[in-house]
Amino acid sequence: MRIHHVALAAAMLAGAACSSPTTMTSGTTGPYAIAVFNGSGQTASASATLVTPLTVVVTGASGVPASEIQVTWTVVSGGGTVLPATSTTDASGHASTVFTLGATVGAQSVRAVVVTNGTDTATFAATATTVAPIGPRLITSVPTPTGATYDHDTFVRDGLAFACMWNVGVRIYDVGNGMKGGSPATPVLVSQIITSANGLSSPSVHNAWWFHNPVTGQNKYLFVGQEGPGSVGSSSSGDIHIVDVSDLTNPVEVGFIHIAGAGTHNFWMDEANQTLYAAYYNAGVVKIDVSGTLSGDMSSRIVMQVHPGGAGNTYVWGVMLYNGTLYATDMKSGFWALDPNTLATKGGGNNVPERYGSDQWVSGQVAYSGTWGTRSVRGNAVKVWALDANGVPTLADSIIIPNITTVSDVAVTPDGKALVVTTEGGAGNGLYVYNRANPLKPTLAGSYLVSVGLHTGEVAVINGHTYVFAARDPGQQQMDIFDITGVVP
Amino acid sequence: MTRCVVCAVAMVVGLCGDAAAVSAQSRFGVTPMAQAIFTVDHSDPIPGGGSLTEANLVQPVLMAVGHGFGNKLGFTAALDFEGLTIKNGELAPGDWGEGFVDRRHPHTYFHEMIVSVNDVLGRLDGSGRLSFALGKGFVPFGSDDPMSRPFLRFPVNHHLSQILERAVGIVQYDVGRVTLEGSIFDGDEPTGPSDWPLLRTDQHTWRFGDSWSGRATVRPVTGLELQGSLAHVRSPESRPGGGPDADKLSVSARWNDSQPSGERYAMVEYARTSELRGVFVYHTFLAEGMLSRRQWQVSYRFERTERPEEVRLVDPFRTQRPSPDNSILGISRWSLHTLHVAYDAVPLRRKVEIQPFVEVTLGRVAEVGAGIFDPVSLYGTDQVRALSVGMLVGWGMRGHRMGRYGTLAGTMDAMDGMRM
Repeated sequence: MRIHHVALAAAMLAGAACSSPTTMTSGTTGPYAIAVFNGSGQTASASATLVTPLTVVVTGASGVPASEIQVTWTVVSGGGTVLPATSTTDASGHASTVFTLGATVGAQSVRAVVVTNGTDTATFAATATTVAPIGPRLITSVPTPTGATYDHDTFVRDGLAFACMWNVGVRIYDVGNGMKGGSPATPVLVSQIITSANGLSSPSVHNAWWFHNPVTGQNKYLFVGQEGPGSVGSSSSGDIHIVDVSDLTNPVEVGFIHIAGAGTHNFWMDEANQTLYAAYYNAGVVKIDVSGTLSGDMSSRIVMQVHPGGAGNTYVWGVMLYNGTLYATDMKSGFWALDPNTLATKGGGNNVPERYGSDQWVSGQVAYSGTWGTRSVRGNAVKVWALDANGVPTLADSIIIPNITTVSDVAVTPDGKALVVTTEGGAGNGLYVYNRANPLKPTLAGSYLVSVGLHTGEVAVINGHTYVFAARDPGQQQMDIFDITGVVP
Repeated sequence: MTRCVVCAVAMVVGLCGDAAAVSAQSRFGVTPMAQAIFTVDHSDPIPGGGSLTEANLVQPVLMAVGHGFGNKLGFTAALDFEGLTIKNGELAPGDWGEGFVDRRHPHTYFHEMIVSVNDVLGRLDGSGRLSFALGKGFVPFGSDDPMSRPFLRFPVNHHLSQILERAVGIVQYDVGRVTLEGSIFDGDEPTGPSDWPLLRTDQHTWRFGDSWSGRATVRPVTGLELQGSLAHVRSPESRPGGGPDADKLSVSARWNDSQPSGERYAMVEYARTSELRGVFVYHTFLAEGMLSRRQWQVSYRFERTERPEEVRLVDPFRTQRPSPDNSILGISRWSLHTLHVAYDAVPLRRKVEIQPFVEVTLGRVAEVGAGIFDPVSLYGTDQVRALSVGMLVGWGMRGHRMGRYGTLAGTMDAMDGMRM
């Protein structure tokens, strides 16, 4: 290891002594030398993903870093996995992979080989320890810019985090996309757009959804929700703003959707059908055609609208399309299952009379819905719903979280193993991760308390790690990024 | 923080000590003042239903009002120790603000620290008097602070009718029976007793000066005072800025009359605060009066005040500040009658005050307009009852009207019989 470093340093010095830096490319035939550059000697729990990627440096005959050289990675011992199994060197001669340890406790190793000559190898050692219970780890916090009221929600896709920061708009961070070299531990700002207030006192940027259109192949539009003032249960305000993010470094607002007397809240998309479903508080659930070009006032694209709880009993917080059913949580009238085509009721509703509803998530044959504020009792419950073959919910259980008044967000990790919950309102504020070994009876696996509370938590998997992008409440406003990998083994 | 408080106490006590050595006729003078109120408060209902009784020490204040160079220079300093004595607020149905609800929040330790330069033009502007004031204290807006009025419990409308504990710069012009005041200040309200006004959020962005107020006061006849005020307060509840602004209006008429046989005082006010460009508007009407004979003092107040209803925390007397949303649960209207009877145990005209009192409040709370707020669901009833029994102990506070600076600072009312 040390010899390799010395050799590399010597090579670099030699390069520096020349008139200009030089990099060999794949046009050069080699032979190539390969050496461990970083990531060897790590220790982690068995089956855990190593925090630091394994990195080699490949040099040519003259010791100059060689770019665009393919390197293959092979697990030698321990039974783990590497992702990717083949990678290509960059301009510095570096190639990397992420190593997830096998289940065997003890020494494990990975070997890297240059594809073209295959003679020289670099071997990485790692040690797997017995699995100890671990909780969510706060790996970094991204402060809101000066003058920002708070961070409200985050949408994460393709290694980009769209942080919805209320009065300062949407701030796009590279958290693993590669376009700016960011990672979850070191987010790098890509751009920012402050959407228009549309007659309200503030842009009040609340949530977002980056639309990947499989029909056109374009990732052109970002839908941004604006949450204006309202009286809970009866009135609301705020539009859906349409932002062209064809150039992610220069987003441009191009249109909006407006419903008089109502404001939008959370979204879900049926991207294959180019349909946006929006929870619209007192305007119920709204279905919007977002196919083709979007520009200007797109309110005419509203296809359908329904008030699940009926007039005076509807104030919809969120929607989620899952397995052919559109689920909606209504703050007043509970948890609903709707037909996504007609928005007709399939089942549910008027089933949480003692609490106001909040967020929801569906995974497999089980759904979870949060509760908010204080009705006859506090919103300290996650409702657990069993779904029948038609997706109709029946209340199966409730998870009660002490010392809170609001379950502000719920989500299930993509592997289905963990239920993630954020909370507000008391000493129990923070992030909770539950084990879904029995989805109808989740058990607490770990938590991270945050005194002021977390308003939302978005789950995303980046480079094999599972993260929660959480919006910390005003007073300490910032975007917190938690690594919850391994909290539920 | 504790060290700061101790130092400040020492400073004020030092000033008080100096006061004994100076004559009222000298070029420099200091008037020390102090008070504290021991009270047992009972409130029925409280959030969640039922009632609560507790003992409190409220309004523990040390003050000094001074002048120099023949009143060309003035200063006001007030230390308030409620952050130590009522950390969780004073039980007071209907009161709200700074994250407290149905409890009055404790004020900041450094309640007032204002320096003024008075009548800077001297004879150049004839009988007019141009003055400037700068420091931390009350913004020239609305009516007198409730602490210098004849009741224990603050009215529900405190945050509609006064703006206080800001870094404020005031320009003031007196001519004849008219006083015009204008000010700039920082919009952020305190979030705790130790808070100082946020002068700026970074080296480029100032909060001081992001808000303004104007007040015109007319005294058409002796004892009668009419005022009208306007203010724009930038993001009062979100300290970094960016939160909803408040546009405020206040008009009031105040009258007092002092006779050897006793004092009479009355005040009527209307105020409104508009937030989010008029999406939410809160109104208040208040009328109060006081009559004193010999050592007895009887006061009555009626108010009808609207307040926002917001999501409460696990502690039902608290709300999140600032709120993560712009929405509210609704608006409530508090219609309250308050009767206050006090007895001056020490003869009037003495500096010392020892004043036992009883205060009763009866009234009703109702929801206004739409929303999910329902008083019966929250309190178990829409009827409000509160009782306080206690004793005020003071020194030199009679007649002092808090929050008046510059040339107004010297207008001590001839209301010596009144606990002002």
